[in-house]
Amino acid sequence: MSLSNIQTYDKILTIILAGGQGERLYPLTKDRAKPAVPFGGIYRIIDFTLSNCLNSGLRKIVVLTQYKSFSLDRHLRLGWNVFNNELNEYIEQIPPQQRISDQWYQGTADAVYQNIYTLEKEQPEMVLILSGDHIYKMDYRKMALFHREKKADLTIACMDVPLDEGKRFGIIQTNEDNRIIGFHEKPSAPIPSPNNPEVTFASMGIYLFNTRTLVKAIIGDAKQNTNHDFGKNIIPEMIHSKRVYAYPFTDKNNNDLSYWRDIGTLDAYWKANMDLVQESPAFNIYDKDWPIRTYKAQYPPAKTVYQKDLPDERTDMIINSIVSGGCIISGAKVEGCILSPDIRVDPHSEIYDSIIMENVRIGRNVKIRKAIIDKSVNIPDNMSIGYDREEDSKHFTVTDSGIVVVRKEMHLI
Amino acid sequence: MTTILLVEDDKNQRLLYEQELKHDGYDVVTASDGKEALEKVQKQLPDIVIMDINMPKMDGIEAMGRILSKNKAIPVIINTAYTNYKDSFMSWVADAYVVKSSELSELKGKIKEVLANKAKDS
Repeated sequence: MSLSNIQTYDKILTIILAGGQGERLYPLTKDRAKPAVPFGGIYRIIDFTLSNCLNSGLRKIVVLTQYKSFSLDRHLRLGWNVFNNELNEYIEQIPPQQRISDQWYQGTADAVYQNIYTLEKEQPEMVLILSGDHIYKMDYRKMALFHREKKADLTIACMDVPLDEGKRFGIIQTNEDNRIIGFHEKPSAPIPSPNNPEVTFASMGIYLFNTRTLVKAIIGDAKQNTNHDFGKNIIPEMIHSKRVYAYPFTDKNNNDLSYWRDIGTLDAYWKANMDLVQESPAFNIYDKDWPIRTYKAQYPPAKTVYQKDLPDERTDMIINSIVSGGCIISGAKVEGCILSPDIRVDPHSEIYDSIIMENVRIGRNVKIRKAIIDKSVNIPDNMSIGYDREEDSKHFTVTDSGIVVVRKEMHLI
Repeated sequence: MTTILLVEDDKNQRLLYEQELKHDGYDVVTASDGKEALEKVQKQLPDIVIMDINMPKMDGIEAMGRILSKNKAIPVIINTAYTNYKDSFMSWVADAYVVKSSELSELKGKIKEVLANKAKDS
Protein backbone atom coordinates (compact mmCIF):
# COMPACT_ATOMS: atom_id res chain seq x y z
CA MET A 1 0.00 0.00 0.00
CA SER A 2 1.54 3.29 -1.04
CA LEU A 3 2.03 6.25 1.25
CA SER A 4 -0.56 8.32 -0.55
CA ASN A 5 -3.13 5.63 0.15
CA ILE A 6 -2.30 5.63 3.83
CA GLN A 7 -2.76 9.38 3.92
CA THR A 8 -6.22 8.91 2.44
CA TYR A 9 -7.44 7.34 5.66
CA ASP A 10 -6.46 10.41 7.59
CA LYS A 11 -9.08 12.24 5.59
CA ILE A 12 -11.96 10.00 6.64
CA LEU A 13 -14.13 10.83 9.62
CA THR A 14 -16.05 7.85 10.97
CA ILE A 15 -19.48 8.33 12.48
CA ILE A 16 -20.94 5.37 14.37
CA LEU A 17 -24.69 5.50 14.90
CA ALA A 18 -25.36 4.16 18.37
CA GLY A 19 -28.58 5.94 19.23
CA GLY A 20 -31.30 3.40 18.44
CA GLN A 21 -33.62 2.22 21.20
CA GLY A 22 -33.00 -1.46 20.53
CA GLU A 23 -36.54 -2.39 21.54
CA ARG A 24 -36.37 -5.76 19.84
CA LEU A 25 -33.43 -6.73 22.05
CA TYR A 26 -35.41 -6.04 25.22
CA PRO A 27 -34.76 -6.99 28.06
CA LEU A 28 -31.05 -6.95 27.18
CA THR A 29 -31.50 -3.26 26.37
CA LYS A 30 -33.46 -2.54 29.55
CA ASP A 31 -30.49 -0.75 31.10
CA ARG A 32 -28.16 -0.23 28.16
CA ALA A 33 -27.97 0.91 24.56
CA LYS A 34 -27.85 -1.89 21.98
CA PRO A 35 -24.18 -1.37 21.04
CA ALA A 36 -23.29 -1.89 24.71
CA VAL A 37 -24.98 -5.29 24.99
CA PRO A 38 -22.37 -7.92 25.98
CA PHE A 39 -21.40 -10.35 23.22
CA GLY A 40 -19.16 -13.40 22.95
CA GLY A 41 -18.28 -13.58 26.64
CA ILE A 42 -16.01 -10.56 27.02
CA TYR A 43 -17.04 -8.14 24.28
CA ARG A 44 -19.74 -5.54 23.71
CA ILE A 45 -21.44 -5.45 20.30
CA ILE A 46 -19.80 -2.12 19.35
CA ASP A 47 -16.30 -3.59 19.86
CA PHE A 48 -16.47 -5.34 16.49
CA THR A 49 -17.15 -2.15 14.53
CA LEU A 50 -14.60 -0.19 16.55
CA SER A 51 -11.99 -2.92 16.06
CA ASN A 52 -12.62 -2.73 12.32
CA CYS A 53 -11.92 1.00 12.46
CA LEU A 54 -8.75 0.55 14.49
CA ASN A 55 -7.49 -2.27 12.27
CA SER A 56 -8.34 -0.23 9.15
CA GLY A 57 -6.32 2.73 10.42
CA LEU A 58 -9.37 4.96 10.91
CA ARG A 59 -8.70 6.95 14.05
CA LYS A 60 -11.09 9.84 13.96
CA ILE A 61 -14.29 8.42 15.31
CA VAL A 62 -17.43 9.94 16.74
CA VAL A 63 -20.06 7.75 18.33
CA LEU A 64 -23.51 9.32 18.31
CA THR A 65 -25.37 8.15 21.40
CA GLN A 66 -28.84 8.89 22.63
CA TYR A 67 -30.81 6.44 24.80
CA LYS A 68 -29.42 4.79 27.93
CA SER A 69 -25.88 5.64 26.97
CA PHE A 70 -24.31 5.36 30.42
CA SER A 71 -22.87 1.87 30.09
CA LEU A 72 -21.76 2.57 26.51
CA ASP A 73 -19.98 5.74 27.61
CA ARG A 74 -18.31 3.84 30.40
CA HIS A 75 -17.22 1.04 28.10
CA LEU A 76 -15.74 3.49 25.57
CA ARG A 77 -13.94 5.35 28.34
CA LEU A 78 -12.48 2.23 29.94
CA GLY A 79 -11.79 0.14 26.86
CA TRP A 80 -11.26 2.50 23.98
CA ASN A 81 -9.14 5.23 25.43
CA VAL A 82 -6.34 4.18 23.07
CA PHE A 83 -6.28 7.02 20.58
CA ASN A 84 -3.62 9.69 20.78
CA ASN A 85 -5.03 13.19 20.74
CA GLU A 86 -1.60 14.62 20.05
CA LEU A 87 -1.63 12.79 16.72
CA ASN A 88 -5.11 14.11 16.02
CA GLU A 89 -6.67 10.72 16.69
CA TYR A 90 -9.79 10.52 18.78
CA ILE A 91 -12.93 8.70 19.73
CA GLU A 92 -15.65 11.00 21.00
CA GLN A 93 -19.10 10.05 22.11
CA ILE A 94 -21.65 12.76 21.41
CA PRO A 95 -25.16 12.79 22.86
CA PRO A 96 -27.68 15.13 21.18
CA GLN A 97 -26.38 18.68 21.67
CA GLN A 98 -29.64 20.41 20.76
CA ARG A 99 -27.49 22.92 19.00
CA ILE A 100 -29.55 23.39 15.87
CA SER A 101 -32.73 21.72 17.03
CA ASP A 102 -34.34 21.26 20.40
CA GLN A 103 -35.34 17.71 19.56
CA TRP A 104 -33.68 14.32 19.91
CA TYR A 105 -32.42 12.54 16.81
CA GLN A 106 -35.38 11.94 14.49
CA GLY A 107 -33.60 9.39 12.30
CA THR A 108 -30.16 8.35 11.09
CA ALA A 109 -29.81 11.28 8.69
CA ASP A 110 -31.02 13.74 11.32
CA ALA A 111 -28.42 12.42 13.77
CA VAL A 112 -25.68 13.34 11.31
CA TYR A 113 -27.36 16.64 10.42
CA GLN A 114 -27.47 17.65 14.07
CA ASN A 115 -23.70 17.06 14.20
CA ILE A 116 -22.93 19.16 11.16
CA TYR A 117 -20.60 21.32 13.25
CA THR A 118 -18.39 18.29 13.86
CA LEU A 119 -18.06 17.83 10.10
CA GLU A 120 -17.34 21.49 9.68
CA LYS A 121 -14.65 21.52 12.34
CA GLU A 122 -12.93 18.40 10.99
CA GLN A 123 -13.39 19.14 7.26
CA PRO A 124 -12.81 15.50 6.26
CA GLU A 125 -12.71 14.55 2.61
CA MET A 126 -14.97 11.57 3.25
CA VAL A 127 -17.36 10.48 5.97
CA LEU A 128 -17.84 6.80 6.80
CA ILE A 129 -21.16 6.08 8.46
CA LEU A 130 -21.44 2.84 10.42
CA SER A 131 -23.86 1.11 12.75
CA GLY A 132 -22.88 0.20 16.27
CA ASP A 133 -24.76 -3.11 16.21
CA HIS A 134 -23.22 -5.31 13.52
CA ILE A 135 -20.86 -8.26 13.92
CA TYR A 136 -18.33 -8.53 11.09
CA LYS A 137 -14.75 -7.95 10.11
CA MET A 138 -14.11 -5.51 7.33
CA ASP A 139 -11.15 -3.57 6.05
CA TYR A 140 -12.69 -0.19 5.28
CA ARG A 141 -9.51 0.84 3.41
CA LYS A 142 -10.47 -1.43 0.53
CA MET A 143 -13.86 0.24 0.36
CA ALA A 144 -12.21 3.69 0.36
CA LEU A 145 -9.94 2.70 -2.52
CA PHE A 146 -12.96 1.38 -4.44
CA HIS A 147 -14.79 4.66 -3.73
CA ARG A 148 -11.85 6.65 -5.10
CA GLU A 149 -11.43 4.42 -8.14
CA LYS A 150 -15.08 4.79 -9.07
CA LYS A 151 -15.01 8.56 -8.41
CA ALA A 152 -18.14 7.92 -6.41
CA ASP A 153 -20.16 10.44 -4.41
CA LEU A 154 -21.44 7.66 -2.19
CA THR A 155 -20.40 4.03 -1.83
CA ILE A 156 -22.56 1.50 0.00
CA ALA A 157 -21.17 -1.82 1.21
CA CYS A 158 -23.44 -4.67 0.09
CA MET A 159 -23.63 -8.41 0.26
CA ASP A 160 -25.85 -11.29 -0.82
CA VAL A 161 -28.43 -12.37 1.73
CA PRO A 162 -30.97 -15.20 1.43
CA LEU A 163 -33.97 -14.06 -0.61
CA ASP A 164 -36.47 -14.58 2.22
CA GLU A 165 -34.45 -12.32 4.53
CA GLY A 166 -34.31 -9.55 1.94
CA LYS A 167 -37.34 -7.75 3.35
CA ARG A 168 -35.30 -6.71 6.40
CA PHE A 169 -32.76 -4.77 4.33
CA GLY A 170 -32.28 -2.12 1.68
CA ILE A 171 -32.18 -4.10 -1.57
CA ILE A 172 -29.91 -2.94 -4.35
CA GLN A 173 -29.73 -3.33 -8.10
CA THR A 174 -26.52 -2.43 -9.93
CA ASN A 175 -25.27 -2.20 -13.49
CA GLU A 176 -22.18 -4.14 -14.64
CA ASP A 177 -19.92 -1.38 -13.26
CA ASN A 178 -21.39 -1.74 -9.72
CA ARG A 179 -23.20 1.55 -10.04
CA ILE A 180 -26.47 1.45 -8.13
CA ILE A 181 -29.49 1.83 -10.39
CA GLY A 182 -32.21 0.70 -7.99
CA PHE A 183 -32.67 0.90 -4.23
CA HIS A 184 -35.68 -0.38 -2.30
CA GLU A 185 -35.75 -0.09 1.49
CA LYS A 186 -37.22 -3.21 3.10
CA PRO A 187 -39.29 -4.35 0.09
CA SER A 188 -42.07 -6.90 0.61
CA ALA A 189 -40.87 -8.87 -2.44
CA PRO A 190 -37.08 -8.52 -2.81
CA ILE A 191 -35.68 -8.84 -6.32
CA PRO A 192 -33.43 -11.92 -6.67
CA SER A 193 -29.83 -11.48 -7.70
CA PRO A 194 -29.28 -11.94 -11.48
CA ASN A 195 -26.62 -14.61 -10.86
CA ASN A 196 -28.38 -16.56 -8.14
CA PRO A 197 -32.18 -16.63 -7.69
CA GLU A 198 -31.90 -17.72 -4.05
CA VAL A 199 -30.18 -14.58 -2.85
CA THR A 200 -30.67 -10.84 -3.08
CA PHE A 201 -28.14 -8.03 -2.92
CA ALA A 202 -28.55 -6.09 0.34
CA SER A 203 -27.15 -2.90 1.81
CA MET A 204 -25.19 -3.47 5.02
CA GLY A 205 -25.87 0.07 6.24
CA ILE A 206 -22.23 1.05 5.72
CA TYR A 207 -21.99 4.32 3.81
CA LEU A 208 -18.93 6.19 2.57
CA PHE A 209 -19.84 9.71 1.46
CA ASN A 210 -17.87 12.56 0.01
CA THR A 211 -18.36 15.18 2.70
CA ARG A 212 -19.91 17.88 0.54
CA THR A 213 -22.34 15.42 -1.02
CA LEU A 214 -23.35 14.26 2.45
CA VAL A 215 -23.83 17.76 3.82
CA LYS A 216 -25.96 18.85 0.88
CA ALA A 217 -28.06 15.70 1.14
CA ILE A 218 -28.74 15.94 4.87
CA ILE A 219 -29.58 19.64 4.65
CA GLY A 220 -31.95 18.95 1.77
CA ASP A 221 -33.55 16.20 3.81
CA ALA A 222 -33.78 18.36 6.94
CA LYS A 223 -35.93 20.81 4.99
CA GLN A 224 -38.50 18.20 4.09
CA ASN A 225 -40.98 16.23 6.12
CA THR A 226 -39.43 12.79 5.83
CA ASN A 227 -38.33 10.04 8.21
CA HIS A 228 -34.84 11.58 8.02
CA ASP A 229 -33.41 8.15 7.36
CA PHE A 230 -30.51 7.25 5.05
CA GLY A 231 -32.15 4.04 3.81
CA LYS A 232 -35.66 5.39 3.41
CA ASN A 233 -35.02 8.93 2.18
CA ILE A 234 -31.48 10.00 1.34
CA ILE A 235 -30.23 7.07 -0.73
CA PRO A 236 -33.31 6.38 -2.90
CA GLU A 237 -33.23 10.04 -3.91
CA MET A 238 -29.50 10.23 -4.42
CA ILE A 239 -29.10 7.31 -6.84
CA HIS A 240 -30.76 9.37 -9.57
CA SER A 241 -28.61 12.47 -9.26
CA LYS A 242 -25.25 11.28 -7.90
CA ARG A 243 -22.63 8.60 -8.53
CA VAL A 244 -23.68 5.92 -6.04
CA TYR A 245 -21.79 2.61 -6.08
CA ALA A 246 -22.16 -0.76 -4.40
CA TYR A 247 -19.01 -2.15 -2.83
CA PRO A 248 -19.26 -5.95 -2.65
CA PHE A 249 -18.26 -6.89 0.89
CA THR A 250 -15.56 -9.46 1.37
CA ASP A 251 -14.80 -10.85 4.76
CA LYS A 252 -11.38 -10.08 6.21
CA ASN A 253 -10.74 -13.80 6.70
CA ASN A 254 -12.87 -15.66 4.37
CA ASN A 255 -13.73 -14.69 0.84
CA ASP A 256 -16.13 -17.54 0.16
CA LEU A 257 -18.34 -17.03 3.14
CA SER A 258 -18.75 -13.41 4.08
CA TYR A 259 -19.77 -13.12 7.70
CA TRP A 260 -21.92 -10.17 8.66
CA ARG A 261 -24.73 -10.19 11.19
CA ASP A 262 -27.18 -7.45 12.05
CA ILE A 263 -28.02 -8.00 15.71
CA GLY A 264 -31.60 -6.83 15.33
CA THR A 265 -33.50 -9.36 17.42
CA LEU A 266 -32.97 -11.61 20.43
CA ASP A 267 -32.98 -14.65 18.14
CA ALA A 268 -30.33 -13.08 15.88
CA TYR A 269 -28.32 -12.19 18.97
CA TRP A 270 -28.46 -15.73 20.31
CA LYS A 271 -27.59 -17.25 16.93
CA ALA A 272 -24.63 -14.93 16.32
CA ASN A 273 -23.24 -15.82 19.75
CA MET A 274 -23.71 -19.51 19.03
CA ASP A 275 -21.71 -19.05 15.81
CA LEU A 276 -18.66 -18.50 18.02
CA VAL A 277 -18.83 -21.90 19.72
CA GLN A 278 -19.16 -24.04 16.62
CA GLU A 279 -16.34 -26.51 16.09
CA SER A 280 -15.04 -24.44 13.20
CA PRO A 281 -16.61 -21.00 13.70
CA ALA A 282 -17.69 -18.96 10.71
CA PHE A 283 -16.52 -15.94 12.65
CA ASN A 284 -12.96 -16.16 13.93
CA ILE A 285 -12.10 -14.12 17.02
CA TYR A 286 -8.65 -15.72 17.29
CA ASP A 287 -7.14 -13.99 14.24
CA LYS A 288 -4.02 -12.16 15.40
CA ASP A 289 -3.98 -10.05 12.25
CA TRP A 290 -7.38 -8.62 13.08
CA PRO A 291 -7.58 -8.37 16.87
CA ILE A 292 -10.92 -7.58 18.47
CA ARG A 293 -10.37 -5.14 21.29
CA THR A 294 -12.51 -4.67 24.37
CA TYR A 295 -12.39 -3.58 27.99
CA LYS A 296 -11.58 -6.36 30.41
CA ALA A 297 -11.68 -6.08 34.16
CA GLN A 298 -8.99 -7.99 36.06
CA TYR A 299 -10.16 -11.53 36.80
CA PRO A 300 -8.26 -14.63 37.86
CA PRO A 301 -8.13 -17.48 35.29
CA ALA A 302 -11.10 -19.74 34.75
CA LYS A 303 -11.11 -22.85 36.93
CA THR A 304 -12.82 -26.19 37.03
CA VAL A 305 -13.29 -28.29 40.16
CA TYR A 306 -13.53 -32.05 40.53
CA GLN A 307 -16.06 -32.82 43.22
CA LYS A 308 -14.83 -36.09 44.74
CA ASP A 309 -16.57 -35.58 48.09
CA LEU A 310 -19.97 -36.08 46.48
CA PRO A 311 -21.62 -39.47 46.76
CA ASP A 312 -21.33 -39.89 43.00
CA GLU A 313 -18.01 -38.31 42.11
CA ARG A 314 -18.57 -35.55 39.66
CA THR A 315 -16.19 -34.35 36.94
CA ASP A 316 -16.78 -31.18 34.96
CA MET A 317 -17.58 -31.61 31.35
CA ILE A 318 -17.10 -28.54 29.17
CA ILE A 319 -17.70 -28.99 25.46
CA ASN A 320 -17.75 -26.47 22.57
CA SER A 321 -17.90 -23.50 24.89
CA ILE A 322 -16.26 -20.18 25.60
CA VAL A 323 -15.32 -19.76 29.27
CA SER A 324 -14.07 -16.33 30.41
CA GLY A 325 -11.81 -15.40 33.30
CA GLY A 326 -12.96 -15.65 36.89
CA CYS A 327 -15.40 -18.52 36.25
CA ILE A 328 -15.44 -21.51 38.57
CA ILE A 329 -17.23 -24.60 37.31
CA SER A 330 -17.57 -27.33 39.91
CA GLY A 331 -18.79 -30.74 38.88
CA ALA A 332 -21.16 -29.43 36.21
CA LYS A 333 -21.80 -29.92 32.52
CA VAL A 334 -21.49 -26.99 30.11
CA GLU A 335 -22.09 -27.60 26.42
CA GLY A 336 -22.36 -25.09 23.55
CA CYS A 337 -22.30 -22.12 25.93
CA ILE A 338 -20.77 -18.70 26.23
CA LEU A 339 -19.74 -17.87 29.77
CA SER A 340 -18.80 -14.26 30.57
CA PRO A 341 -16.37 -13.55 33.42
CA ASP A 342 -17.05 -14.27 37.07
CA ILE A 343 -19.63 -17.05 36.89
CA ARG A 344 -20.10 -19.93 39.31
CA VAL A 345 -21.68 -23.20 38.25
CA ASP A 346 -22.32 -25.62 41.09
CA PRO A 347 -22.39 -29.44 41.03
CA HIS A 348 -24.91 -31.49 39.05
CA SER A 349 -26.00 -28.51 37.00
CA GLU A 350 -26.26 -28.77 33.23
CA ILE A 351 -26.22 -25.85 30.84
CA TYR A 352 -26.75 -26.21 27.11
CA ASP A 353 -26.68 -23.72 24.21
CA SER A 354 -26.88 -20.69 26.46
CA ILE A 355 -25.32 -17.28 26.96
CA ILE A 356 -24.49 -16.53 30.57
CA MET A 357 -23.36 -13.02 31.47
CA GLU A 358 -21.10 -11.67 34.19
CA ASN A 359 -21.57 -12.35 37.87
CA VAL A 360 -24.23 -15.03 37.46
CA ARG A 361 -24.44 -17.72 40.15
CA ILE A 362 -25.88 -21.04 39.11
CA GLY A 363 -26.80 -23.28 42.04
CA ARG A 364 -26.85 -27.08 42.31
CA ASN A 365 -28.83 -29.36 40.11
CA VAL A 366 -29.93 -26.53 37.81
CA LYS A 367 -30.89 -27.26 34.21
CA ILE A 368 -30.66 -24.51 31.61
CA ARG A 369 -31.23 -24.88 27.88
CA LYS A 370 -31.30 -22.27 25.06
CA ALA A 371 -31.31 -19.30 27.41
CA ILE A 372 -29.74 -15.90 27.81
CA ILE A 373 -29.06 -15.05 31.45
CA ASP A 374 -28.18 -11.37 31.84
CA LYS A 375 -25.77 -10.05 34.49
CA SER A 376 -25.94 -10.61 38.25
CA VAL A 377 -28.66 -13.22 38.48
CA ASN A 378 -28.69 -15.97 41.11
CA ILE A 379 -30.25 -19.15 39.80
CA PRO A 380 -31.42 -21.11 42.83
CA ASP A 381 -30.80 -24.85 43.30
CA ASN A 382 -33.00 -27.26 41.32
CA MET A 383 -34.38 -24.64 38.97
CA SER A 384 -35.05 -25.44 35.29
CA ILE A 385 -35.03 -22.85 32.53
CA GLY A 386 -35.76 -23.62 28.89
CA TYR A 387 -37.66 -26.89 29.39
CA ASP A 388 -41.22 -25.71 29.89
CA ARG A 389 -42.25 -22.88 27.61
CA GLU A 390 -45.47 -22.14 29.42
CA GLU A 391 -43.81 -21.95 32.81
CA ASP A 392 -40.89 -19.88 31.47
CA SER A 393 -43.27 -17.40 29.83
CA LYS A 394 -44.77 -16.60 33.23
CA HIS A 395 -41.50 -15.13 34.49
CA PHE A 396 -39.23 -14.45 31.56
CA THR A 397 -39.13 -13.18 27.99
CA VAL A 398 -39.42 -16.10 25.56
CA THR A 399 -38.70 -15.48 21.88
CA ASP A 400 -40.56 -16.98 18.91
CA SER A 401 -37.90 -19.61 18.48
CA GLY A 402 -38.06 -20.45 22.19
CA ILE A 403 -34.98 -18.67 23.58
CA VAL A 404 -35.59 -17.74 27.24
CA VAL A 405 -34.18 -14.42 28.40
CA VAL A 406 -33.67 -13.68 32.10
CA ARG A 407 -33.21 -9.98 32.69
CA LYS A 408 -30.36 -8.34 34.55
CA GLU A 409 -30.38 -8.56 38.36
CA MET A 410 -33.68 -10.44 38.37
CA HIS A 411 -34.51 -11.96 41.77
CA LEU A 412 -35.48 -15.57 41.51
CA ILE A 413 -35.36 -16.66 45.12
CA MET B 1 -49.85 40.20 1.63
CA THR B 2 -46.36 38.68 1.85
CA THR B 3 -44.78 39.05 5.28
CA ILE B 4 -41.03 39.36 5.61
CA LEU B 5 -39.26 38.88 8.94
CA LEU B 6 -36.19 41.12 8.84
CA VAL B 7 -33.53 40.15 11.37
CA GLU B 8 -30.83 42.81 11.73
CA ASP B 9 -29.06 44.16 14.80
CA ASP B 10 -27.92 47.48 13.29
CA LYS B 11 -30.70 49.99 13.84
CA ASN B 12 -29.95 52.16 10.82
CA GLN B 13 -29.69 49.26 8.43
CA ARG B 14 -32.86 47.79 9.86
CA LEU B 15 -34.72 51.02 9.13
CA LEU B 16 -33.30 51.24 5.63
CA TYR B 17 -34.27 47.69 4.72
CA GLU B 18 -37.67 48.02 6.33
CA GLN B 19 -38.53 51.16 4.37
CA GLU B 20 -37.26 49.76 1.07
CA LEU B 21 -39.17 46.52 1.44
CA LYS B 22 -42.37 48.23 2.59
CA HIS B 23 -42.05 50.50 -0.42
CA ASP B 24 -42.05 47.37 -2.60
CA GLY B 25 -45.33 46.28 -1.05
CA TYR B 26 -44.18 43.75 1.56
CA ASP B 27 -45.43 43.59 5.10
CA VAL B 28 -42.27 43.81 7.26
CA VAL B 29 -41.77 42.49 10.80
CA THR B 30 -38.40 43.16 12.43
CA ALA B 31 -36.20 41.50 15.03
CA SER B 32 -32.85 42.73 16.33
CA ASP B 33 -31.21 39.40 17.19
CA GLY B 34 -31.60 35.66 16.67
CA LYS B 35 -33.56 35.07 19.86
CA GLU B 36 -36.11 37.71 19.03
CA ALA B 37 -36.33 36.24 15.53
CA LEU B 38 -37.35 32.84 16.95
CA GLU B 39 -40.15 34.46 18.97
CA LYS B 40 -41.38 36.47 16.00
CA VAL B 41 -41.36 33.43 13.72
CA GLN B 42 -43.65 31.58 16.12
CA LYS B 43 -46.05 34.53 16.46
CA GLN B 44 -46.16 35.91 12.94
CA LEU B 45 -45.35 32.89 10.74
CA PRO B 46 -43.67 35.04 8.08
CA ASP B 47 -43.47 33.93 4.45
CA ILE B 48 -39.72 34.51 4.35
CA VAL B 49 -36.90 35.51 6.70
CA ILE B 50 -33.98 37.81 5.90
CA MET B 51 -31.25 37.00 8.36
CA ASP B 52 -28.10 38.85 9.35
CA ILE B 53 -25.39 36.60 10.84
CA ASN B 54 -23.31 38.63 13.30
CA MET B 55 -25.78 39.57 16.01
CA PRO B 56 -25.85 39.63 19.82
CA LYS B 57 -27.62 36.96 21.94
CA MET B 58 -28.00 34.42 19.13
CA ASP B 59 -26.32 34.59 15.74
CA GLY B 60 -28.16 34.21 12.47
CA ILE B 61 -26.78 30.74 11.66
CA GLU B 62 -28.05 29.22 14.89
CA ALA B 63 -31.38 31.05 14.60
CA MET B 64 -31.78 29.73 11.05
CA GLY B 65 -31.16 26.14 12.18
CA ARG B 66 -33.70 26.48 14.95
CA ILE B 67 -36.30 28.00 12.63
CA LEU B 68 -35.80 25.11 10.23
CA SER B 69 -36.26 22.52 12.98
CA LYS B 70 -39.73 23.93 13.75
CA ASN B 71 -40.94 25.53 10.53
CA LYS B 72 -39.52 23.70 7.55
CA ALA B 73 -41.60 25.65 5.08
CA ILE B 74 -40.23 29.12 5.89
CA PRO B 75 -37.35 30.03 3.57
CA VAL B 76 -34.37 32.01 4.88
CA ILE B 77 -32.09 34.39 3.01
CA ILE B 78 -28.78 35.17 4.66
CA ASN B 79 -27.89 38.83 4.34
CA THR B 80 -24.44 39.48 5.75
CA ALA B 81 -21.48 41.80 5.22
CA TYR B 82 -19.15 38.78 5.11
CA THR B 83 -18.50 36.27 2.34
CA ASN B 84 -16.56 33.78 4.48
CA TYR B 85 -19.66 32.31 6.14
CA LYS B 86 -20.31 30.60 2.82
CA ASP B 87 -17.74 28.01 3.94
CA SER B 88 -19.80 27.19 7.01
CA PHE B 89 -21.83 24.05 6.32
CA MET B 90 -24.78 25.41 8.28
CA SER B 91 -24.96 28.44 5.98
CA TRP B 92 -25.89 25.96 3.23
CA VAL B 93 -29.23 25.61 4.99
CA ALA B 94 -30.15 29.06 3.67
CA ASP B 95 -32.18 29.32 0.48
CA ALA B 96 -29.92 32.16 -0.67
CA TYR B 97 -26.81 33.97 0.51
CA VAL B 98 -26.55 37.70 -0.19
CA VAL B 99 -23.57 39.89 0.67
CA LYS B 100 -24.79 43.23 1.96
CA SER B 101 -24.43 46.24 -0.23
CA SER B 102 -25.90 49.75 -0.26
CA GLU B 103 -27.75 48.73 -3.37
CA LEU B 104 -30.63 46.39 -2.55
CA SER B 105 -31.45 45.01 -5.99
CA GLU B 106 -29.69 41.66 -5.45
CA LEU B 107 -31.53 41.08 -2.18
CA LYS B 108 -34.85 42.06 -3.72
CA GLY B 109 -34.21 39.77 -6.68
CA LYS B 110 -33.43 36.84 -4.36
CA ILE B 111 -36.59 37.48 -2.33
CA LYS B 112 -38.69 37.17 -5.48
CA GLU B 113 -36.80 34.09 -6.64
CA VAL B 114 -37.05 32.27 -3.30
CA LEU B 115 -40.75 33.10 -2.92
CA ALA B 116 -41.39 31.87 -6.46
CA ASN B 117 -39.58 28.56 -5.67
CA LYS B 118 -41.60 28.21 -2.49
CA ALA B 119 -44.84 28.73 -4.40
CA LYS B 120 -43.75 26.11 -6.93
CA ASP B 121 -42.98 23.53 -4.20
CA SER B 122 -46.26 23.97 -2.36
